[in-house]
Order: sequence, then structure tokens, then C-alpha cells
Amino acid sequence: MIPSTVEELGAALEGHDYFASEDLTVAIHLALHLGRPLFLEGEAGVGKTEVAKVLARLNGGELIRLQCYEGLDIGQALYEWDYARQMLEIRLIEARGEGSKVDARDIMSREFLIARPLLQAIERSSPSQRAVLLVDELDRADEEFEAFLLEILSDFQVSIPEIGTVKAEAPPIVVLTSNRTREIHDALKRRCIYHWIDYPDPDLEAAIVRRKVPGIEEELAGTLATAMARLRDMDLFKPPGVAETLDWAESLRLLSHGGLTSGLVDQTLGVVLKYKDDIDVVRGLGVEQLVR
Amino acid sequence: MGPGPVRDIATFADALRSRGMTVTPDQMTDMTRSLGLVDPARRSQVHAALRSLAVTDPSQREIFDEEFDHFFSRSHRSRSTEPKGSSLLAASAVSQVKQRVGDEGTDDAVTHDGASAVENVSGRDIADLDDDQLAEARRLVSAMFWRPTDFRTRRWVLDDAGRRPDMRRTLHAGVGPEGDLMRLEMRRRRTRQRPLIIIADISGSMERYADLFLFFAHAAQHRLEHVEVFTFSTRLTRITDDLAKRDARTALASAGRTVTDWSGGTMIGEAFAAWNRMWSRRMARGRPVAMILSDGWDCGDPELLAVETARLARSVGSLIWLNPLAGRTDYTPATRGMRTVLPHVDHLLPAASIDDLRDLVRLLDTMAR
Repeated sequence: MIPSTVEELGAALEGHDYFASEDLTVAIHLALHLGRPLFLEGEAGVGKTEVAKVLARLNGGELIRLQCYEGLDIGQALYEWDYARQMLEIRLIEARGEGSKVDARDIMSREFLIARPLLQAIERSSPSQRAVLLVDELDRADEEFEAFLLEILSDFQVSIPEIGTVKAEAPPIVVLTSNRTREIHDALKRRCIYHWIDYPDPDLEAAIVRRKVPGIEEELAGTLATAMARLRDMDLFKPPGVAETLDWAESLRLLSHGGLTSGLVDQTLGVVLKYKDDIDVVRGLGVEQLVR
Repeated sequence: MGPGPVRDIATFADALRSRGMTVTPDQMTDMTRSLGLVDPARRSQVHAALRSLAVTDPSQREIFDEEFDHFFSRSHRSRSTEPKGSSLLAASAVSQVKQRVGDEGTDDAVTHDGASAVENVSGRDIADLDDDQLAEARRLVSAMFWRPTDFRTRRWVLDDAGRRPDMRRTLHAGVGPEGDLMRLEMRRRRTRQRPLIIIADISGSMERYADLFLFFAHAAQHRLEHVEVFTFSTRLTRITDDLAKRDARTALASAGRTVTDWSGGTMIGEAFAAWNRMWSRRMARGRPVAMILSDGWDCGDPELLAVETARLARSVGSLIWLNPLAGRTDYTPATRGMRTVLPHVDHLLPAASIDDLRDLVRLLDTMAR
């Protein structure tokens, strides 16, 4: 069931372990009710992908994920013919001695088609149960794919020359994410509800840690969140995201007997920072700065 | 909101447009509809709703917030847009700088930062060129054959000489009355030009070469597939959008207004650090060629310069450094900055004047790809 007010949506998201800022909650609310795709940008690890997952849980529908990469094409994103089956079918027809009568239609029907994520989302979305389509890391795909996606997202129908037009009974709920390694074309963003997810403030982050890492001490969660905020204030090449916070919390839960000490931070810095230069910067400034 | 939300949204959209944002009629429709979906008494919800629909880039958030505060806090009296410089004042900061230097009665022997005091400038500043000379410079640049090499994309194109079969086409073409005779349709990876990234030092010691080089950058941007142009002295500025204007003089004038640190001090390390953080990951695709114009006079942190140059070199395919002084026969990289960056540079070439540009183009043309 899709909640009907912003407040109800916020509560429902929290009920599924997702803490969204009010801005984000409003953006999701609009996407659901205006039937527009939700376009999420933000640094890596701030919970963009998670939004789609939690929407699928909330909605009870299926989560269909399309991971983007350079060179992603129709065959990988929309549909592809099952060549092996087609070849086999031709052989079988020939074996029956009907080779001279074989027609393209014999091997170009729906059963020889492999549905990729976009077609799956179109076929499996119904008014009672809208599928959730996650198009992840769109910035990794190229401009050609973006243009194609724009077309699909505008009417959720696909023309397959050999078969005909397939149209979604109900438009799927669409979440697009981008890490902004390149700019996505304005035309696509304009069709979407756009939201930039910031790093959470320390209170929110502590709440996320407490919810996602059961058994962690209250105080440690707070200290961690503060340490993360300080890390993000340092001039790092890659500031850590919430995903790193959770990894760190898990690691500390395994190692820590009590509070967060400088020694412990130093040993586990590699869980949070993935660039040697960044680790050097933090060590240079002194790890004790993080746990003060 | 008043009784006329449609009109309010239209007025608000106009306010956003006056600040350079694009708001389409579709977006306005959605914005109006969104007001019915949130709690109108909650300002924060109205704000979040309209922002999620109007803003398409994080850089617009500040503008949006200002306009929103302005629009929804006070009465909707129309507001005068920011003063736009009269077209008479549209002359670029470049020529203003030239003017200032000229006023000081300086000429070829002008000394700034000690960098170019004894340099015999055989070419002249682009700002000083008359139309004939400009045409000559343009002809020179347009005769340039050099372009970055290609890289192989992950996409396929049909090609009889390709090495992989295209099963989709093969099966389409192959099935017929003589279904057992199949012709394999072949495909290969498509190639595209490697991007060119130009980062030009426009600090005091470089100012005589910078506009000539920016003219070169302008020509390159219009000739090659994918070019990005940045300038720096104390801060990094992206001027690709300015140089996109077709007319070179208009484009350079526009860049002159965008850049705010003409002839400032030189912080090469800081500029590279900014580039590495803001842009490197957004331009890493296709192993780009980076072209840096700088004489290496650096008053920033030398350690930072070493670290950031190394990182820049790692994130691009090849690094070409153009140094105006490098054309001199007795040139040795004496400045500390040059010595720091040199281990990471693939090609060090001169670029001071039209003559050097000619040499540069020749060198680039013959340079191994």
C-alpha cells in the first residue's frame, strides 16, 4: 500500500529501517503520486540504492534492478532473442522434414525472447502491484542509452518488430541513481523528481547505526557518527558514506570491548577510507582527533 | 500560497528563469500538482516539493533556495533582475587586463613574476592581432591535423571485417527457404576519439600566452569531439561552456567574464587538487589526453603539487605539458614547480607565440599516438 501523506510515508519508510530526511520523503511521495521516476544523486554510499529496495518492500512488489555500465545496450537492458533456442528450433523443424516450410515467425515469438530488466518491469507491473524498477548508476552508461531510457520512461511501452507492442498495465515505480561521475542529460532529469541525498547529520546517522547494527552500544553509535562527521570535514579525496559507517560499526562491534579508542580507530581506518592518501591525511592530523 | 497557485507557480518559474535556470511547462504543471500533494501549511514540504521538481543539478540548489525564500516570504512584487552589463562593457576581462598592462607603459620586456622577463616574444598576444593576423592564426589552427587517438568503446557496430558474429542479425538474415545456409553477420567494437582536457595557467607570469592558448583551445573545442577547458591562477574555473560559442572573440569575452582570477598568483597544486576532486572521476572515461599550459612558477605548497600532479597523471591517459619557456634552446626546467611535475609528464612542449603554436601543431601532428 502506498501511504497517502508525507508523514505516513516517513513513518512507513522508518518502519522498513530507512531513515529519510523530510526533503527526501517529500520527493519520494511526489514520485509515487505523480507517477514520475525518482532521480537520486549523491556521493557513493549515502543510501540511494537503498531507497528502491525499501520501496519494493513497502509496496510488496518486485524489485527489478538494472545495473548500468558502459556499452549497456538493448540486448542487455530490454530484451534479447534466445539464439540457442532458435537454432535448436530450426534443427527440430528440419528434423521433422519441414525445413522448406520454416518461417521467421516460427522462431520469433515471445517464447524465444529473453526479457531483460526493462521489459520485465513493463510486463510484471500491474495496477494492484506496481513493480519497482531500479536503474542503478546511470552515469556509468553512455549517452546513447540515456536517450533510449528517456523514450522508455515516457510511455512504458516497447515495440518489438517481430511481435508487436508491449505496454505496462500500470507504470512501474522507477528509481534512477547516479554517482555523478558524469552529467546526466537535462532532458532526462526534467522528466524526473530530482533529489540530491546529502550525508546524514550525526543524530540521524547514529539512529541509522543503532537500527542497522543491532547490539551496538548507544554511546558507541553516537561517537561513531561524530567521528564520521569530522572525517567528512577533512579535506579527503573520497569522504566516507553511510555504507562505510555501517561497515565500521560492524567491525567495531566485533573488536571493541568498551568505547572507541585511538588505537582501535587506527587499526580499522581501512574499513572507512579506501585511498592511501586519505589514510595518510587522517594519520597526519592524528586519529585521536576523531574520538575526542 | 494565494488563491492562484497556477499564476504563482508561473511567476515563481519566471523568477527562477531570470536566475538562469530552465523551467519547462511540464515542470510547471508538476509543480502546481505537487502543491496538492503536500501539506500547504508546512513550508518545508512545499519547499522540498517544488525543489525536487525545479532543480536538476546540485549547483542550482542555492539559487532555488534564495528565490524560494524571496518569493514565499514576502509579497510577490516583481523584482528587478540582476544588472546585466551593457553590451558596450562586454569586452572581456582579458582585454581589460591587457589595457591595464598597456597603461603601465609596458611592452615586450615587461617583467612579471620574473617568469618572462628576457623572453623574446616572437609572436604577439592574440588581443593585439589585427583581423588579418587573427585570420592567419585561425587558418593555422584549422590546418591542424592532430587529434587525440581513439579508444575502443563497449558498443558494437556492424562490420564485415569485424571479428565477432552478430547473432541477432545472423538469425534474421539466415532464416528463409534455404534456412540451413547461414551467412554470419559480423560486428566489431566501435571506437571514439579520446577526450582532450585543457587546463591553462592564467596567472600573472602567464598572461601573455594565456589568451593565445585559449584561442587554440577554442579552435580545438570546435574541431574535436570532446574537449573540456579549465583555467586557474588561484582557483580552478571551467570555461568549456563559454568557449562553446562559435565566434572566437565572443567566446573568449564570455570566458573573460566567467574567470575571476586573471593574473593572480599561481597555485598549481591547489588547482590540480580541485580538478582531481571535482572533475577527474567525471572525465576519466576514454583515457583522456590532458594538456596543461603553465610555466611552472608556483607559489603554492610544493608537496601538494607533487601529490596532485601524480594523481592527475594517473587519472588521464597521457599528460602533455606546454611551457612557454620550453621553446628556448637553453631551456632547462629550473623552477621548482617544473622539476616537481616533470616526472609525471609524458611530453613537454613549448607554447609562447604564433610561431610556437605552429611548431606545437607540427609536433603534435608528428607525435606518436
